[in-house]
Amino acid sequence: MSYSSDQSAHLSVNDARPSTDTSTVSKVPHKQAHQPVLHAEKLSKQVKSGERALTILHDLYLSVAAGESVAILGKSGAGKSTLLGLLAGLDTPSDGELTLFGQPLSRMDEDGRASLRAGRVGFVFQNFQLLPTLSALENVLLPLELSPRAGETQTAAQWLERVGLGERMEHLPKQLSGGEQQRVAIARAFVTDPELVFADEPTGNLDPDTGAQIIDLLFTLNREAGTTLILVTHDHALARRCDRCLRLADGQLMPFEPSAAANGGGDE
Amino acid sequence: MSDLNWRLAARSLRRDLRAADVRALFVALVLAVAASTMIAFFLDRIERGLERQAGQMLGGDLVLEQREPFSEELRTTLEQAGFVLSDQVDLVSMISHGEQFQPASLKAVDDVYPHYGVSHVDRGNGVEQIASGPPPGEAWPDPRLAQLIELELGDRVQVGQTELTVSGIIEREADQSGGFGNFNPRLMLNTADLEATGLVQPGSRIGFELLAAGPPAALEQVQALLAELRRDGVEVRDVRVDRPQLGNALQRAESYLGLAGLAAVLLAGVAVAMSTRRYVERHLDTAALLRCFGASQYQLVTIFSLQLMGLALMAAVIGALLGLVGQAVLLWLLTSFLPMTLPPPGIMPLWLGVFTALAVLVGFAGPTLLRIKRVSALKVLRRELDPLPPSAWLVVGVASLVFGGLLWLYSGSFSLALALLIGGSALLGLLWLVSGLLLNGLLKLVQRLSGGSEWGQAFRLGGRQLARRKEAGLGQLLAFAVTFFAMAMIVMVRGDLLTTWQDQLPENTPNYFAINIQPSERDAFEDAVALRIEAQSTLYPMVRGRISAINGQPPREAVPPDARGDNSLRRELNLTWQSELPEGNQVVAGQWFVQASEPQGWMSEVVATPQAASEVVPISMEDGLADRLGLGLGDELTFSVGGNTITTRIESLRSLNWDSFNPNFFVIFPPGVLETFGHSFITAFHLPEDEQGLIRQLVSDFPGVSLLNVDAILGQVREVLTQVTRAVELVLILVLMAGVSVLYAALTASRPVRAHESGLLRVFGAGNRMISRVQGAEYALLGFASGLMGAVLAEVATAALYLYWLELTPRLHLGLWLILPLGGALMIGVIGHALSYSLRRQAPAASLGLLGET
Repeated sequence: MSYSSDQSAHLSVNDARPSTDTSTVSKVPHKQAHQPVLHAEKLSKQVKSGERALTILHDLYLSVAAGESVAILGKSGAGKSTLLGLLAGLDTPSDGELTLFGQPLSRMDEDGRASLRAGRVGFVFQNFQLLPTLSALENVLLPLELSPRAGETQTAAQWLERVGLGERMEHLPKQLSGGEQQRVAIARAFVTDPELVFADEPTGNLDPDTGAQIIDLLFTLNREAGTTLILVTHDHALARRCDRCLRLADGQLMPFEPSAAANGGGDE
Repeated sequence: MSDLNWRLAARSLRRDLRAADVRALFVALVLAVAASTMIAFFLDRIERGLERQAGQMLGGDLVLEQREPFSEELRTTLEQAGFVLSDQVDLVSMISHGEQFQPASLKAVDDVYPHYGVSHVDRGNGVEQIASGPPPGEAWPDPRLAQLIELELGDRVQVGQTELTVSGIIEREADQSGGFGNFNPRLMLNTADLEATGLVQPGSRIGFELLAAGPPAALEQVQALLAELRRDGVEVRDVRVDRPQLGNALQRAESYLGLAGLAAVLLAGVAVAMSTRRYVERHLDTAALLRCFGASQYQLVTIFSLQLMGLALMAAVIGALLGLVGQAVLLWLLTSFLPMTLPPPGIMPLWLGVFTALAVLVGFAGPTLLRIKRVSALKVLRRELDPLPPSAWLVVGVASLVFGGLLWLYSGSFSLALALLIGGSALLGLLWLVSGLLLNGLLKLVQRLSGGSEWGQAFRLGGRQLARRKEAGLGQLLAFAVTFFAMAMIVMVRGDLLTTWQDQLPENTPNYFAINIQPSERDAFEDAVALRIEAQSTLYPMVRGRISAINGQPPREAVPPDARGDNSLRRELNLTWQSELPEGNQVVAGQWFVQASEPQGWMSEVVATPQAASEVVPISMEDGLADRLGLGLGDELTFSVGGNTITTRIESLRSLNWDSFNPNFFVIFPPGVLETFGHSFITAFHLPEDEQGLIRQLVSDFPGVSLLNVDAILGQVREVLTQVTRAVELVLILVLMAGVSVLYAALTASRPVRAHESGLLRVFGAGNRMISRVQGAEYALLGFASGLMGAVLAEVATAALYLYWLELTPRLHLGLWLILPLGGALMIGVIGHALSYSLRRQAPAASLGLLGET
């Protein structure tokens, strides 16, 4: 893997569009601070809606440095999920360049992108996405087994203990509360020691108190592991805890300062 | 990484066994394997059992017969090949007891006798089963002989130059083949006494038999030798070729069992297809998540295939075990008919079972499973992003191909499989169209239901629900129609099979044969029996004659080498003459004798003059014999009858029913040829239970007439039919179970959708009773339409089946058109309604949420 060429490209763009790139002024110093984990340039996404094409993302620019945490806010329907899907390589852009870990995601096929994710990218979803037929421990084991570190059951168990579910490893998701399910999901996201974690409205399905606990857990683990975090949310309080906040509107990302008063629920 | 696939597959399989669709899939596969292995095991063992029984009736696996003793060299060769040998000598001689003399058929057996089975002998303690012949110095007469010359146990009987002690009355010989070639009563003795009788002299008519028992491999090894022996004029009987005529009943039963097994496999396949659909839908989220975590498409397919393979293997093992138990039950039902020492089940059927499970899985689940591969990882963010289901054509196409392959494997006939497949596909396409029309019409009709009665409302709502999901409804309709069709067909064919069997042996099937009725006794005999019996066959005149030339050549040179030892060339044949084609005979080639203008009946016998030697007489021959001797229409046969020769030409070939218990003849002459030769008459009649006294009267009034009681053989055949019927019923149950598994699978598959609908209805204010009725109505409508389609299919298919496979006459099944639609409505209505009971009890929030959960 080569970072050098990407870095030079990144720096030149960084000079041109400094407003949405704060990777060089990250609040939390990181040993790889100068190498962007993720870099998007002129990213566009159009979808066909009936007869006409709908532009969701247009010439979008984003660069995220290693160890940074970035919050992406936006109204419902602004394209947050679309963007997240593109950044994680779950979907392909209509136009533009996208590199993940220095690899050109936009030029890789579905399987290539999947293998790039394996073990290096973690996910936390709004609706938890635990497999209902697997126990908590097995759910955490799942990404581990898809990575080169298959079979480290002990690691998975340790992570469950870290999120406070050491006693409930053999429980099925339906035997756990929403908060507990999201803890399992967080353990699952971190179990492979990923370089990058995507979180999609991680508190969206939780009550405020549980949500706050989950956020604390997420940020604590993130800081301890030095992981890069990209978080999509409505919640300003949550967004404020990130190093950097961006707002998605009209298909573009803009720097944004979340209000101190609002605490979830409202947009922006 | 492959390690991971196994682990993941194993883990999710273990958890998945709780899911309804996986259970349905599992049950369906188990049934498919159980049905196919049970039937394969059973047919395999029956096949080998029949060979054993044939061996018992022949007296060995291989029987050689000639006019002189067998050479030591031949014995050594056979023994080296693995045969155990037993000697037997047959001859006819006068025997005496006091002043009474009687020609008897002597059968001398050695200490090895019998190879198979037991004789029924009364040695003073009632009838016992004995697996040996009489010891040296003793003899066993049959009851007829004992009666004729008043022999009792302990009496001395004169045989040739020696005297033997009667130590038993032999009622049934272990190797009785049941022919009527030998009309003399039997005396069985030991070969050790043969020399002392002085009856074995050069020139005397003696049959030396060498009975050999051995494994199939031994038989295989000596085939070349046997061919040589046949060419030398030795009569060779080989179990695999000379099967006893057990009748068509068993053959039809085998066809039926094979058919029923296939029906069960087909039904299970439909169930597999339906449950796979639900299985895949349920696992799309899992697949998307795995994608998200970095699994490749190949890995996804591997994981889910492994999981299903694991399921199939488990199902195969359980199914095969069930199949083993099932065949044991089948055999237990058939024990008294089959020889006790059936060969153990072979291993082949087991592989067949595993293969069937995998084939059904690949064929009926494969295309649907591939849908998992195309799942997008983006689905974790957007639930609605489901990959398109595979096209119905692909699913049906692949399933048809695999099923066609199984058909080929099971039936062994490629053309049959292909024909069934093409016909089936065409039918399915047509069915799809017709079903669509039918469903539309039915739904329109239901919407017109007037009145505000709750049921009217329920049917309107139920109909609308069905209409909303027309594609899914149509799929279910097809599945149910095929299910009803298969079930109906198996039930119907069974019924007709049983009727046919019963018709074959009606209540008044002859149980006595009367042989050797002299022309002078004919009228008196007929008068004596006519009043007291229920049915009697024609009195057939019988003349003994030998084939002396075929197409002007010595018979042995004219026939194929293998037929040189044939019985018909070595012995005198029973010839008869008839102007009408005997009942139960069918002309299969050529023409029956053209009616002459001269008076027929008894007149012809009186006024007939011997045929001029130069004139060629037309004859009719049994097609089986003609086939064995390589003869056809137009071939000329010369018969030697009482020192005269008659030249004949084959003008017709007949097939006849050997199971009919009526006198049957290989060769029939026209009237006016044989009348002047010495002849007697033969007839068969049914003597009711309460008229047994007639026999004593006949024996005293007509001492020269031989009366043969065939009740025992008749009973045995009837027993076979009863037992085969029971076997057929057992298989029927299996097919019905497979049908139920389809219902289960279909209902499981549509459960979430229905749950959602009833949740919505409840939100809109419908009461429990209303929802229950709406669901009941929807299922009933579906059941009615499926039943109607099933009836169409069943009627068409049975007709085809009867004509081409079972060889029965097709007939219309009116009840079908009533029972299937109404029964279908009732069955699907009630079962579906009952299965969705738990859904109705859910709070609306839960049932609405069901759609969002996986």
